[in-house]
Amino acid sequence: MEVNIEQLEKDFQAKIDAGISIEPKDWMPERYRHQLIRMMSQHAHSEVVGMLPEGNWITRAPSLMRKMVLLAKVQDEAGHGLYIYSATETLGISRDEMINQLLTGKAKYSSIFNYPTLNWADMGAIGWLVDGAAIVNQTALAKCSFGPYARAMLRICKEENFHQKQGYQILANMMQGTEAQKQMVQDAVNRFWWPSLMMFGPSDKNSPNSDELMRWKVKLYSNDDLRQRFIDRTVPQAEAIGIKIPDDKLKWNEKTRHYEWGEINWDEFYAVIGGNGPCNRLRMKQRNDAHKNGQWVREAAIAFAEKRKKNKAA
Amino acid sequence: MNKDLFEYTLRLGDTSLILSQRLGEWCGHGPMLEEDIALTNIALDLLGQAKAFLAYAGEIEGKGRNEDVLAFHRDANHFRNLLLTEQPNVDFGFTIIRQLFVSTWQHYLYSELTHATDKNMSALAVKSLKEVNYHLRFASDWTLRLGDGTEESHQRVQAAVNELWNYTGDLFEIDQVDEALLKLGIAADMKKVEASWNKHIRQVLNDATLSVPEINNFMRTGSRKGVHTEYLGFILAEMQFLPRAYPDAKW
Amino acid sequence: MKEQSSLESSEIFQLLYAIPDPEVPVITIGELGVLRSVDWVNGQLNITITPTYSGCPAMFAIEAEIKTILKENNITDFKLKTVHFPAWTTDWLSDDAKKKLSEYGIAPPQHSSQIKHLRPDEVSLQCPFCNSDKTHLTSWFGSTACKALYFCDNCRQPFEHFKCHH
Repeated sequence: MEVNIEQLEKDFQAKIDAGISIEPKDWMPERYRHQLIRMMSQHAHSEVVGMLPEGNWITRAPSLMRKMVLLAKVQDEAGHGLYIYSATETLGISRDEMINQLLTGKAKYSSIFNYPTLNWADMGAIGWLVDGAAIVNQTALAKCSFGPYARAMLRICKEENFHQKQGYQILANMMQGTEAQKQMVQDAVNRFWWPSLMMFGPSDKNSPNSDELMRWKVKLYSNDDLRQRFIDRTVPQAEAIGIKIPDDKLKWNEKTRHYEWGEINWDEFYAVIGGNGPCNRLRMKQRNDAHKNGQWVREAAIAFAEKRKKNKAA
Repeated sequence: MNKDLFEYTLRLGDTSLILSQRLGEWCGHGPMLEEDIALTNIALDLLGQAKAFLAYAGEIEGKGRNEDVLAFHRDANHFRNLLLTEQPNVDFGFTIIRQLFVSTWQHYLYSELTHATDKNMSALAVKSLKEVNYHLRFASDWTLRLGDGTEESHQRVQAAVNELWNYTGDLFEIDQVDEALLKLGIAADMKKVEASWNKHIRQVLNDATLSVPEINNFMRTGSRKGVHTEYLGFILAEMQFLPRAYPDAKW
Repeated sequence: MKEQSSLESSEIFQLLYAIPDPEVPVITIGELGVLRSVDWVNGQLNITITPTYSGCPAMFAIEAEIKTILKENNITDFKLKTVHFPAWTTDWLSDDAKKKLSEYGIAPPQHSSQIKHLRPDEVSLQCPFCNSDKTHLTSWFGSTACKALYFCDNCRQPFEHFKCHH
């Protein structure tokens, strides 16, 4: 029987329009598959590279409780990375291939992790702002058309919520502490505020993939909409504990019921994406070193498994 | 206060704390994601155990030192962790062998302590033992894979066994604290622990085609008295920096 | 002396029982077995909880939530105690809680009596999404200490498993 691609695509779109989720065994257009692999692997890479800036502070956390919370958070991220890699594999790409794309710089990860973590309050700022931005993104993705990704986002979001609260708590606590602690907090927020806004991607007028992704319900809201949502919910949280948002133009607009805010430094945005952020090279080196140093371990595991298989067969 | 019990509890807590600190250095740098998560998970279990033991030590001492004061405001000579735990990660093979040696020790020690007449001690031992069982399985499985894997992995992990063996005498040193508490039915009988440890380690190493080093003259001990290797000072410098630099701050 | 709150200890137990787990909010700390007891002793409320895993960071959030709820109910004189004995086990999870986990997409723990002596990769699990038995272990350690990662070979997607801890 002749397979009619046009008909398949029509049925596919009808399914999406009806809100039926697409499953790994279902037919899907190659371009849909490709876009999902791109997005999901980028997400998984972000979780894994994201372990580095926070991992920095595990050995230096200032109390056993904070150390425990941070260790657990980084473990969570690694676990999310593993889960999303596994979900992405169902689209027909191996984890080795994805990791290779990351290590060779072919695949991207969230640019926020190309910024350094310089003081302890950065652990709070990352939890509060970076996880906060991720939650806004992922809450939207929990309704996306690809079943395994949407389901993963649902549960991952709950865990991220927990991280965000913990991050906020680090900052709230420090804001009630000594002058030096308050300064640390403000310094951290000054450095992480704008990069957090950049996590939502280019402005809508410069976002090339958007139409197609929206039609396929891979993306449900525009970058600027999500960014605005993040700002609206985050600014009051800053005010509640006495943090100043580093944006002179920031003000509440009673009419639109939204915050107005300044302009993102798009030169910086594109520089970091292009590999020239403060830590791009360092992060890639750390990932590559870990991979290289682990080569003999992976080889040993394979060799051992093969020996066992042979013994069993014999 | 029972000074011996304080000392004994400190040893258990410090051992878990310093090993956790070392494992935490791996975070984000593991040979594969699964192993990265496993090492972090073990670090987290150990940290939780350390916190509980140190909190109990502070309670026994009764001078208002809580677990954070004990962890962040003692100098190296007051730490009672096993020398093995402060040895550097070096590579995944070293980390696994160090874990194998310590987890095996904890496994048999906690098994004994589940019968301790001190209720808090036995409760913490029961709780910790469940978690240590997983650590031990992880370390044993990887010792097998690395020992009986490739030529390179075999050599690397044998080098780790040879090097770390020098610190295993420290595991079983007995002093008056052990003796006094053993009489009260609180401490573990280290002779028993040592026999079980030796049996299990020899079995695992043998299965992994690794050889057990011969007894040599370089057996380092001293953790019971707070005499450590040079590594501990650096570990503490990093771990304690924030509370020391900002003594008035609460975190 | 008059008690600060007119609530019976059993009523407070129910209030605290319903606190959702901070990371897996479909189940409560009561269903998990973290909340052990609530008693009035001479006008002071004694609450005991027990940690799941020693290093579980959710315990701090759970303690904070308990304190918030007590405050909302005007209970100011209380003692919140962490006990380690009897040690927590997944055998304490109610059938209801296991059902909720499964519906949430996490394969619940089996009873320890069912899996004695089995290694983790030998435990056969049902996929929470399609109920197939054709599943395999991906990683014994997952995003949280209590979970492992599995894969369903039938509906071809990963799922999490709340490990049996005994």
